[in-house]
Amino acid sequence: MANSLFEEKLYSNEFLVTTEIGPPKGADISEMVHHIDLLKDKVDAINITDHQSSVMRFPSLGGCLLVKEHGGEPILQMTCRDRNRLALQADLLLAYSRGIVNVLCLTGDSVDAGDHDEAKPVFDLDSVQLLKMIRIMESGTDIAGKELKGAPNFCTGASVHPEADFIEPQLIKFEKKVSAGAQFFQTQGIFDLGSLRRFMQYASQFNVKILAGIIVLASARMARYMNDNVPGIIVAQAIIDELASAGKGKGLQKGIEVAARLIRTIKEENLCHGVHVMAVGNEGIVPDILEAAELVGVPS
Amino acid sequence: MIVAEQKPLDEISRMIASYERVLILGCGTCMTVCDAGGEREVSFLHNALRVAQSKIGNGIHIFWEYTLKRQCDPEFLELIVERVAEVDAVLSLGCGIGVQAVAERFPELPSLPGVNTSFMGMTRETGVWDERCAACGDCRLEDTAGICPITRCIKGILNGPCAGTKNGKCEANKDMDCAWLLVYERLEKLAQLERMRRYYPPRNFRTIPRPRRIISKTSVDPGEEYG
Amino acid sequence: MDSLLTDIRQNYPANRTQRFLADHSLVPTCQTACPLHMEIREYVDLVAQGKIVESLQVIRSGNPFPSICAYVCTHPCEDACRRDQVDKPVAIRALKRFALEFGGDRLIQAEAETSHIEKVAIVGSGPAGLACAYYLRKFGYPVTIFEAHSELGGMLRVGIPQYRLPREVIDTEVQRLTRMGVEIRTNTPVVSLDLLFDIGYKAIFITIGAHQSLRMRIDGEESPGVIDGATFLREINLGLRPSPGERCAVIGGGNVAFDAARTALRLGAREVRILYRRSRVEMPAGPEEVEQALEEGVEIVFLVAPIKIKREKGRLSVTCIRMELGDPDAGGRCQPVPIEGSEFNEEFDTLITAIGQAPQTPGGFGVRLGRGSTIQVEPGTLATNRPGVFAGGDAVTGPATVVEALAAGRLAASRIDDYLQHRYPLVVKETRESLTGDLLPETVEMVRRIGRVEPPILASEERSKDFEPVELVYDWETATNEARRCLRCGTGAEILSQDRCATCLTCLRICPYHVPYLDAGSTVQIPIDQCQACGTCVAECPAKVIVLRKPHDRRRVTEELEHILKTAAGSKLKPLIVGFCCQYGLFGTGTLASLWRGARAGVWIVPVLCVATVEAEHLLRALEIGAEGVFVAGCGDGCARENTASWIRQRVEKVRKILVQIGLQPERLQTFVSGTLSEDPAQGMDNFIEQVGGLYLASVMMQEVKS
Ligand SMILES: Cc1cc2nc3c(=O)[nH]c(=O)nc-3n(C[C@H](O)[C@H](O)[C@H](O)COP(=O)(O)OP(=O)(O)OC[C@H]3O[C@@H](n4cnc5c(N)ncnc54)[C@H](O)[C@@H]3O)c2cc1C
Ligand code: SF4
Ligand code: SF4
Repeated sequence: MANSLFEEKLYSNEFLVTTEIGPPKGADISEMVHHIDLLKDKVDAINITDHQSSVMRFPSLGGCLLVKEHGGEPILQMTCRDRNRLALQADLLLAYSRGIVNVLCLTGDSVDAGDHDEAKPVFDLDSVQLLKMIRIMESGTDIAGKELKGAPNFCTGASVHPEADFIEPQLIKFEKKVSAGAQFFQTQGIFDLGSLRRFMQYASQFNVKILAGIIVLASARMARYMNDNVPGIIVAQAIIDELASAGKGKGLQKGIEVAARLIRTIKEENLCHGVHVMAVGNEGIVPDILEAAELVGVPS
Repeated sequence: MIVAEQKPLDEISRMIASYERVLILGCGTCMTVCDAGGEREVSFLHNALRVAQSKIGNGIHIFWEYTLKRQCDPEFLELIVERVAEVDAVLSLGCGIGVQAVAERFPELPSLPGVNTSFMGMTRETGVWDERCAACGDCRLEDTAGICPITRCIKGILNGPCAGTKNGKCEANKDMDCAWLLVYERLEKLAQLERMRRYYPPRNFRTIPRPRRIISKTSVDPGEEYG
Repeated sequence: MDSLLTDIRQNYPANRTQRFLADHSLVPTCQTACPLHMEIREYVDLVAQGKIVESLQVIRSGNPFPSICAYVCTHPCEDACRRDQVDKPVAIRALKRFALEFGGDRLIQAEAETSHIEKVAIVGSGPAGLACAYYLRKFGYPVTIFEAHSELGGMLRVGIPQYRLPREVIDTEVQRLTRMGVEIRTNTPVVSLDLLFDIGYKAIFITIGAHQSLRMRIDGEESPGVIDGATFLREINLGLRPSPGERCAVIGGGNVAFDAARTALRLGAREVRILYRRSRVEMPAGPEEVEQALEEGVEIVFLVAPIKIKREKGRLSVTCIRMELGDPDAGGRCQPVPIEGSEFNEEFDTLITAIGQAPQTPGGFGVRLGRGSTIQVEPGTLATNRPGVFAGGDAVTGPATVVEALAAGRLAASRIDDYLQHRYPLVVKETRESLTGDLLPETVEMVRRIGRVEPPILASEERSKDFEPVELVYDWETATNEARRCLRCGTGAEILSQDRCATCLTCLRICPYHVPYLDAGSTVQIPIDQCQACGTCVAECPAKVIVLRKPHDRRRVTEELEHILKTAAGSKLKPLIVGFCCQYGLFGTGTLASLWRGARAGVWIVPVLCVATVEAEHLLRALEIGAEGVFVAGCGDGCARENTASWIRQRVEKVRKILVQIGLQPERLQTFVSGTLSEDPAQGMDNFIEQVGGLYLASVMMQEVKS
């Protein structure tokens, strides 16, 4: 029995589309609400990020509640950076009790990357252990083995990085996530479909759904910046060149084009089970991308 | 070995400001090796404080210097009992342990830290030290090819690299090797990659209740003693 | 303010302080090889530092007649010099000559007072006799020298030719002896010792040398035109001018043969040929000697010996035979074997034999003789079989060298003193160990190569015409540079207390010569036979447990700073600048030295063994004693060691950081390195003085504003 609409779709062989919203730094949630309303019917689920890049923000759980309130399908992003196992379990119980059942389990960026670089990094658990912990909770106990009054039930996801420059250890970790219970994967940004193809050829042996991460780049400068500064990301040179060819002020337009083209190809060639569109602070343009990718109206 | 750095001079000056007679106490073991508080650094600090005094009029102090073989064993501290009787404070260039050992042995005297104790590590080259052990109390180096991910991975995670690694370096520091890639490479060489495929449950932090104590002597039941 | 020395030592328990004060250096190989045991390393180093007068003092304290050695010593020290393992030995003899000339040796007067009544007679006035007289006078004995010839000096006078040892040199030394009150009886051959005892001498030293030339024992040896080398040279040296004719043969391969050959050339012989029965390797003459002879036109024929001489028509027809070398004998020397049928004839006007000499001891001496007619003595005391009679020099050893004769003379003086004072003749033991062992290839590789520079010599065409001294003296710069080549063997670093060594391995990692190592017991060892005494590890050791073995090297900097502190306290010259300068090279002895030292008011120089030995705390200490600015100056590329400047730069940087924290301007600290600096260091120095002056004024003004 599916826990959520999203989980149901996960096993329906539909081409899935998810996107993400970064919560505000502050108590004013109006813009987030606006984005939720804008996107909730255009995608299958909305991820709410968890202090992305270790920058302190409105919490992911709070964002997910809003999505829920506004009738959307939230995916709770949960990192191990800020909470120990007690806090993580507690948050999961809260989420479940409010109908938030899709959880993307992540290790989390290092604290150094963010705006509170003197904070104590927690990392009591890692992503694999978090996935495992959810499965244990579902079986009716907490991870210390104490019985739970009412067990939760989640649809769990994790991330994977098909474009990592040193892929073997990543694949080992992927498999560990699969065995720990991950049902779906949202990948890190894909810029080179070749690597996605190679990855899918390998990943198709596992009974998990893969949503290719699509990052919308607003300019060549941004692409280069990401190469230098964003953990793990490697934007292919071909794409940087393409962005650079765009006229002044046309960068974003070009970025949308690139993203849409990637999505279209993925879908046409049936490369994987769906896409996860990350507009990094430009949530408003996601509908344009989906339109350009001829995906609008997919949600029924 | 324990690795530390001498504190900035202004911090030390502030710390000793209200004490007239100060004993600068070096440590002949780790602090000597890591250039933070051996006889040479004691002497250097002594000279620096005196220059500060003579050139800037930075307080009026009388300094003594002495370097013990080790500050972390109480017996060594007996060697300075007489000297200590004449001073208003001890500025210890021992690691945090030394500072506390001095405080414990001389309860009526301020024991001031002259170094920032930083980590346990090894020498990379003269004057460069790298952290290698977090003293987690639950050593897993067997499974990680002798490379400690708890110390050398900024996140201390147990089940493989995060996705932030790039060019073999850590996401948090482009100069630092990703510990997990090192583990992978070494396990591969040792033909032990299956160790990395294994699931490692969350760490047991209970093995390190703080403060820790290690007892290596066996307690003997008096009844069992031989006549 | 309490003294820095007490500062440093207050951590040292008494026995450590004692260790700190003692000299732990080892006796270098040169000194061990020197029969007089001269402090070669010390005086060579003083020359390198430009301290020529001090150098001369060290030389004089170890040698009664250094001026003679400076010309003719066979320098066994150089043969033993470890620098040879890197490139070439240090030119020790030539440096000694330099020190004597530039240190004003001519002006030095020796004095002696008589404090004993026992008279001592010395028979023979060669170097052994003269040395013995010198020391006995120093001990306070009345001394008389009896000499068969009309002039003093023995072989120095009648053997060694003037072009190698100018007669004024001997005269000066003899004059000194006379001034010291030595009674001299020339033209007085002694035939009986009893007589000497009878007229009141209480002890006698026989040093009659070895003047009887050995004979070749071949037909025709008595013919006119055949003369032995010793006699030939003596005649010339005593003022005769025998003519060697056009063509002259010299038989032999030792110094006498070469001196005879070169002298014959100077007397007008057109062709001089040395015939030697072995090969070049076996030839006892020194290489310089051989080289100079060849330059002058002497011809050397190896593996040839005369077997018959016939006098015909006023010339000599000499039959020679070729030789080949047989198997080495017990002594390792290959014996020449005649090749049958290889005889050939040569015509000469003169033939000089120089195949060795033996002593000729008058029977009336009553002393026991041994092999080769030498006088038998007890080696440690030089006592003969007759009570009160001692002997030494060539008379005991057979033909040897000046320096050995001097050593024998010195030893005899001590032993005669013991004898006359009824003391048991105790041998004074050297407390320091002798350095042994070769440099390891790894060490050799790291030592900078600096070629040996020989002293200038007269051009060969000029010299073969007369008896002018052939060798000239170094100039200042060449000498100081040559002296810097000395490796100061045995003065290196040691771990003063293994107990306080933290085994941090810093020394092992930073030593430019890879000297320290970890032994099987996990203890760090600094092998003294490899250490190059650069002192880098001394300054870098975090336990401060490494010291240089010479107390002077160790305490130098702190003591100089103390001195400046005392002197400068009363000085009105502000701002005070303290500079740590390499004691060698450009800054120590070169042009910049005088510039920096004298001419600039308020600039105080602390000469250091090497800038790498300047510790960070020394820099601070200089500021504390009142310096407004501090600088370190070294030679950079010109340094005899590798990479010294980088160490001092690191330390300067460390201290600069601390200065900033103290609230002082880091510009107060400067490094000057010649060679790597595009700017002229003298100019840089000017700028620095100006800058420090500015900082000083600013700080005075600040203080005025504050008060
Ligand atoms: C040609 C030549 C060149 C040399 N070159 C060198 C050199 O370059 N470097 C070096 O180190 N060595 C050299 N030597 C060797 C050196 O000169 C001798 O080893 C040294 O002089 C020996 O000193 P001595 O005092 O034992 O005897 P001598 O110097 O031989 O002096 C002995 C003295 O005793 C006198 N005498 C002898 N019998 C009596 C008596 N019965 N009564 C009174 N007086 C007497 C003699 O007249 C003579 O003056 C050379 C020797 C010769 C012959
Ligand atoms: S290098 Fe110097 S100390 Fe060493 S043997 Fe030669 S002269 Fe003597
Ligand atoms: S003094 Fe120099 S050569 Fe000798 S051990 Fe120390 S660093 Fe090496």
